[in-house]
Amino acid sequence: MDKFIQLTLNGLTEGSTYALIALGYSLVYGILKLLNFAHGDVFMVGSFIGFGALHALGGSADPVVPVWLLLVLITLAGMAGCAALGVAIERFAYRPLRDAPRIAPLISALGVSFFLTYSMQLMFGAQQRDYGTFALSNGSLYLKGFNIGDVRVPILRIITISSAFALMVVLWFLVNKTRTGKAMRATSFDREAAAMMGIDIDRVIAFTFVLGSALAGAAGVLFALRVPTTATIGFLAGLKGFTAAVIGGIGSVPGAMAGGLILGFAEAYAQGYWDTRWSDLAVFSLLVVFMLVRPQGLFGRADIRKV
Amino acid sequence: MADDPRPGAEGPGGSGPAIGKDEWVARSGERRLHREGVLGTIEERVRTLPWWAWLTAIAAGFAVLPVADSSGYVRRVAFDTLLYMLLALGLNIVVGWGGLLDLGYVAFYGVGAYTYAILGSDKFGIHIPTIALIPLVVVIGAIAGFLVGLPSRRLVGDYLAIVTLFFLQIFLTLSINGDDLFGLGNITGGANGILRVDPLSFFGHSLPVQHEGIFAVSYLYVVLGIFVVVYVALRLVNESRTGRAWRSLREDPLAAEVMGMPVNWLKLMSFSFGAAVAALTGTFFAALNASVFPLTFSFPLLITVYTMVILGGSGNQFGVAIGAILVSVVLELLRDPGNARVLFYVGVVLGLLAALRISRRLGIVLAATVALGFAVHAVARAIDSSWVAGQTADGRVVPGWASHWVIVPSHLADWISPVSYVGLVASVLALTLVRGWWRLVCVPPVLYLAAFVWENVMLAKPEPTRYIVLGVLLISLMIVRPNGLFGEKRVEII
Amino acid sequence: MKRAMVLAFVLVVACGATAAALAKPSAKTHFTATQALNCKSTMKIAFVTPLTGAAGFLGNEQLSWAKYAVKTLPAKFALKIQLVSGDTPVEAGPAPAQALAQKYVADKKVIAILGPSTSGAVAASSQAYFDAGLAHVSPSATRTSLTKSVDGKPKEATPGFFRVVPDDAIQGPTDARFMIDKLHAKKVVVFDFQEPYSLGIAGQVEAFLKSKGVSTIHLSVANTVTDFSSFVTKVPSDADFVFFPTQTPPAAQTFAQQLVEQGKKAKVFGSDGSNNPAQFHFAGSYVSNFAAPVSLFPYNKAIIAGWSKDNGGAQPGSFGPPTYGAVQVLLTAIQKACAQGHGKVERRAVIRAVKHVRIKNWILGGEFRFSTKTNDPFNGRFYIFQIQSNGSYKLVQ
Repeated sequence: MDKFIQLTLNGLTEGSTYALIALGYSLVYGILKLLNFAHGDVFMVGSFIGFGALHALGGSADPVVPVWLLLVLITLAGMAGCAALGVAIERFAYRPLRDAPRIAPLISALGVSFFLTYSMQLMFGAQQRDYGTFALSNGSLYLKGFNIGDVRVPILRIITISSAFALMVVLWFLVNKTRTGKAMRATSFDREAAAMMGIDIDRVIAFTFVLGSALAGAAGVLFALRVPTTATIGFLAGLKGFTAAVIGGIGSVPGAMAGGLILGFAEAYAQGYWDTRWSDLAVFSLLVVFMLVRPQGLFGRADIRKV
Repeated sequence: MADDPRPGAEGPGGSGPAIGKDEWVARSGERRLHREGVLGTIEERVRTLPWWAWLTAIAAGFAVLPVADSSGYVRRVAFDTLLYMLLALGLNIVVGWGGLLDLGYVAFYGVGAYTYAILGSDKFGIHIPTIALIPLVVVIGAIAGFLVGLPSRRLVGDYLAIVTLFFLQIFLTLSINGDDLFGLGNITGGANGILRVDPLSFFGHSLPVQHEGIFAVSYLYVVLGIFVVVYVALRLVNESRTGRAWRSLREDPLAAEVMGMPVNWLKLMSFSFGAAVAALTGTFFAALNASVFPLTFSFPLLITVYTMVILGGSGNQFGVAIGAILVSVVLELLRDPGNARVLFYVGVVLGLLAALRISRRLGIVLAATVALGFAVHAVARAIDSSWVAGQTADGRVVPGWASHWVIVPSHLADWISPVSYVGLVASVLALTLVRGWWRLVCVPPVLYLAAFVWENVMLAKPEPTRYIVLGVLLISLMIVRPNGLFGEKRVEII
Repeated sequence: MKRAMVLAFVLVVACGATAAALAKPSAKTHFTATQALNCKSTMKIAFVTPLTGAAGFLGNEQLSWAKYAVKTLPAKFALKIQLVSGDTPVEAGPAPAQALAQKYVADKKVIAILGPSTSGAVAASSQAYFDAGLAHVSPSATRTSLTKSVDGKPKEATPGFFRVVPDDAIQGPTDARFMIDKLHAKKVVVFDFQEPYSLGIAGQVEAFLKSKGVSTIHLSVANTVTDFSSFVTKVPSDADFVFFPTQTPPAAQTFAQQLVEQGKKAKVFGSDGSNNPAQFHFAGSYVSNFAAPVSLFPYNKAIIAGWSKDNGGAQPGSFGPPTYGAVQVLLTAIQKACAQGHGKVERRAVIRAVKHVRIKNWILGGEFRFSTKTNDPFNGRFYIFQIQSNGSYKLVQ
């Protein structure tokens, strides 16, 4: 039973990371009908920005601000940096291709993904970077927490999961309750009609990228707090984030959240109960099955194409 | 002959359209489309050469290469380039002719290599002779393509791309863990791969892979022959009904379906053909390396092949072959800092030529860049001579013609690398935003910064640099010239 | 008429090509292993190592030490050496190693090879180097089957291959025996990372443990995994140790932290790949290495200080110093071959000279020479460290 609780906790932690990444995919796909392959690498850049911010603030061994403030600051740094990066990517790699055949921005996205990964490797080398969170306040982030049965839920996990959920709630609020959010939803329904209604399409799209990339940046920092990061994690993280988005229904915000959690649980249970080598296989096969059986995902709408 | 735009062409009713008349005015644009004189005639002849003349030229070039240069290294690079060309031809079928974005393509390459290794090595003691093994591998590759293509019937565009990418991941996972495949035993050798794979053998005569450590040139000729055969075969397929059906599928799938084309069948066929070509290439890869490892067939290889196809012009066989040659040679040159430096400067000059054509502006920009460089270098040397005293990545002092121009500090502080690189990227992007003469003014400083970054940051690590070049190439190709060097411009009706 | 001309042209070219193919071109290049170089000229040593990809950090660390060695040592041997490097990312398999082998064999100035660093690259290119007479000394290729016959299969490398670190067949049993005798382990979880290094050593450790009656569980994890949470969950709560032969020390650190986080009592036992006091410093863990930390030996002080200054104050890891040692071996051999050749040196002479190299004040401790039976270090042994509460490594065996 303990194993199940622990695995569920693991799934929740990883799943919230995947959900944050999936949200970025969903938002961008909803508006541009474009799969932003570079999104996983934005996540990776976020983790590096957080690392840089951490060291600017003294490093984990000797931070100049209290721990809670440190965590907030580096997360904000990651979010801001990635938001800027996302806007730049959209402006220079996708906007010129907005009216091109569908294949063109996809290939451009592949190029951006590649470029980001190896640029980071060029600048910062191939070794893994550890935030050293254990050293922050002497391991209490790992060792203190509350217990469910025999399983301890450490503070770090609580922070990760609750921050992710908080961000998702903020996003939901932004998308559903503000005017810009309404403009976003209108643009995703019908871009031309929205333009005719006086919505500035370029700004709305830029805003979408800001939101999605900021979430990815936050996910990157939250992820790297627990686990070392390197330039090549973006590829696999992007794949899994995309899987989560598709399972939940691409274009749908609650769908991305649900998909992320489902994927996190699936991965944790597969790793925990099944042979460790095939857990990746289980995750990929899950996606393929979904694509074939229910391509619109759990919450998505089936697409009707007008001829 | 009535619409022949060549000057002096006779119309059916007399001596060509007269100056001043409407028709002459209307056709003035056509006249400007091609050059006069010798250059024009050459261009015309070149454009009307039959396709097999180009193929012969390429084949002849490769055939003569070992005679011209006896270095085993050059021959080995030529062999690798031919493999890339074959891969590009195969991908061209799926992406260029079928219009399907197949991101799992290199998995078929792996399937071919592994099948050859499993059925022709000490692994299970099976040693099928090459004559029988190669067709067998091609068939297996085609079947694999067919199976992977089955889900493609219901998926379009991006979704297809993702599903094929996932198949690639599944293939990688299976082959890495294939040393204990669900209790079926050791099939793929796992991460250690399969070793001691048989070399090619024809009629009992086995071709050794190397003589005294030098690459055996017979392998080069075998692959060259296969390339020619595949090229011709695919050309014939493209000119047949299937080819035309693929083109209609690519241009407008919905219209094709409505017109009664067996769209699903066509998609499957293009997947199959592409996979078969990739599998065929895999056999030679496995035979020459005498081993197969799982991690070869991964994302960077996929992006490399895609760059070749996009650069050359997807849909045009000759184009993708040229694209493959260009990318392969550039990547190989980038391995060595000395060559990479020359490549950079040549690339910059070519880029400026392409952007500005031979004109006064080009001259101004070049002169300004050179002058700026000397000036900055002199200033830097005056401030602190260690700033310009450094050695480059290959341990040599910068060669004479560049040593007074580009700054190479003897000691690079840690922060300079990332800051200058990011600064370069930002300024290049900003350059695309400014217009008019401002742009001309900003180009020389950006070029100088680029030279600095190249010498100090990128040459120090040629390896990520290669991939960065690929990535940048893909992005800029898509924006500036999506049809590549030789492809046809396409208009997609959404 | 035009068509006929073109057709004729094609035929001529085709015939030419066929003729060239059938005429077996002489496989000898005009440069062979017996051509001698002038010892006073600048000679090249080529370093073949993974500089990008998953093992890129290893190659880069080794390269920094190789550069430092080539900067400071040749003058002491009255030689002029230029270092060139080639990248063999592990993901690309044997192909880059073979292409680089072709390149360096053809380069007349290359007198010897440093590396290849990865066992796979050695297996792929050793024959080519040996046939061309190039000695190749590796600072990190530890696969046992390269120099020793395993399971009746032939050796994978040639007599031109040497390594300055002991192989996995010594490390595995050493670690396992320590776990049994000194640490009284009863239940051990053994990990592998689906790549040749960890597969090899994990297999050795598991086999030894099993033969002594210790209960073992084997878990296989993809190399790309960085979050081990669910794998930690699989570790039984009564396991004593987790043998974790990762090549990325931060992974070992993370794993140890997650073990504690989930309340497992097992301690992490890392192999030489995890040896890095700056990155893996979790108190209570163990690490094995083919050398004591170089800072333990006072005669290394100047070397470490010099390298550190050139590399922004970094601390030496475990992969770098053997590279320095390997360069030292090569230079010693080249100097000896030069002396025997009266100012001229042949490639093959270097191979012969390497075998007889002896170095006092070896950077990894003690005196260095090669074993007479194989091209491995004489009396190679492994050292085991326990990580103290302040993160430092204490030698315990």
